[in-house]
Amino acid sequence: MAVPKAAVALRHVKSVAVRFCPFQTNVETTRIFLERVNSKKARASNINCVVTTDVRHDGSEPVVDIMFADGDRLIMKGANLTAAEMLSAFNSRCIAKDLKAEEKTKKKSA
Amino acid sequence: MAAAALCCRGLCRTGWLPTLQIVRYAKSVTRHWKAMHFERQKLMAVTEYIAPKPAIPEKCVTPYIRAIKEENGYAKLLRRQVTETFRDSKMIAVCQHNFIPSEEMLLMKHRLRKHNIHVKFFPNEIVRPYLSVSKYKNLLPLFVGCSLMLVSPEIKAKEMLRILKNVPQINLLGACIDNTILSNQGVVNYSNLPAMEIIQGQVVGTLSLLASQTCALLHHSPVHLTALLDQYIKEQSGGAGETDGKAGEGQAELGPAKSSVGL
Repeated sequence: MAVPKAAVALRHVKSVAVRFCPFQTNVETTRIFLERVNSKKARASNINCVVTTDVRHDGSEPVVDIMFADGDRLIMKGANLTAAEMLSAFNSRCIAKDLKAEEKTKKKSA
Repeated sequence: MAAAALCCRGLCRTGWLPTLQIVRYAKSVTRHWKAMHFERQKLMAVTEYIAPKPAIPEKCVTPYIRAIKEENGYAKLLRRQVTETFRDSKMIAVCQHNFIPSEEMLLMKHRLRKHNIHVKFFPNEIVRPYLSVSKYKNLLPLFVGCSLMLVSPEIKAKEMLRILKNVPQINLLGACIDNTILSNQGVVNYSNLPAMEIIQGQVVGTLSLLASQTCALLHHSPVHLTALLDQYIKEQSGGAGETDGKAGEGQAELGPAKSSVGL
């Protein structure tokens, strides 16, 4: 499964909380997402974004909880998702927020 | 060209001369492919070689032998290193490796090296086949994605946890300490355990406590009985002394009374 190499941008993200149990077999995609979010470019895009990792051993499902700067919250349960799907869902929301921010700036300038 | 030239000379005034005939396509050796004469073509087609076909085609008879890919020498070296690492280490911790700046990585490696803990990176394609065959089968789910191993011939869980706390990019997933697979919380609990000598002393103390309690229990009832008997004797002797005294007093009282009565 090829994961797209596009960089993850954390510009509009306040915090990312990843919770998973590493001894389960459905954790691969969540771990790949975590690596992407912790990549050099992603960290450089927003230094103030807090990425926390909670490693448990209670058989719980892997969950990614993203809190955006404008109060929105994205919860992804990675048990049956692929890494590409998680990244595309996250990126689509970031792009939508980018467009909103651009419209606001245009309105303000106009 | 020469024929054309000859033809021109011939045609100069007197007209067409029968001795000089225009022969078209006279050259047999041409620079381009020239079609054979039709009869020659027919002959060639008829006399074409037809190779004899075997009754059973060779594809059906001979088995398809796949060329055995020789293993890369580097892969062999890595596999040997993995085997040696797992054999010589008492503590093996598996961590999730996110991006970490090179200076921080160097510092972390230096701090771990002080406690004789080595940081190892192996590709999952090498480690997973080895683990599936060895006794560390239950560590297989940890080796997914980008992971690194912290190995040490000694068990220094507390120091390792203290150093990893300062590096938020490296997340401890699990460990195999002293042939026991532990989770993150298990490693924390293990690090909080006291030293072996203290635990041994506590066990010895608990066992000897039972034995000493038995001894005390056995002695308890006779000791109690003797104490009670002593108390009783004291009371008895104290009471007899009082009664003698009282009897003496009574007699002394009776004496004057008798004397008074006698008078």
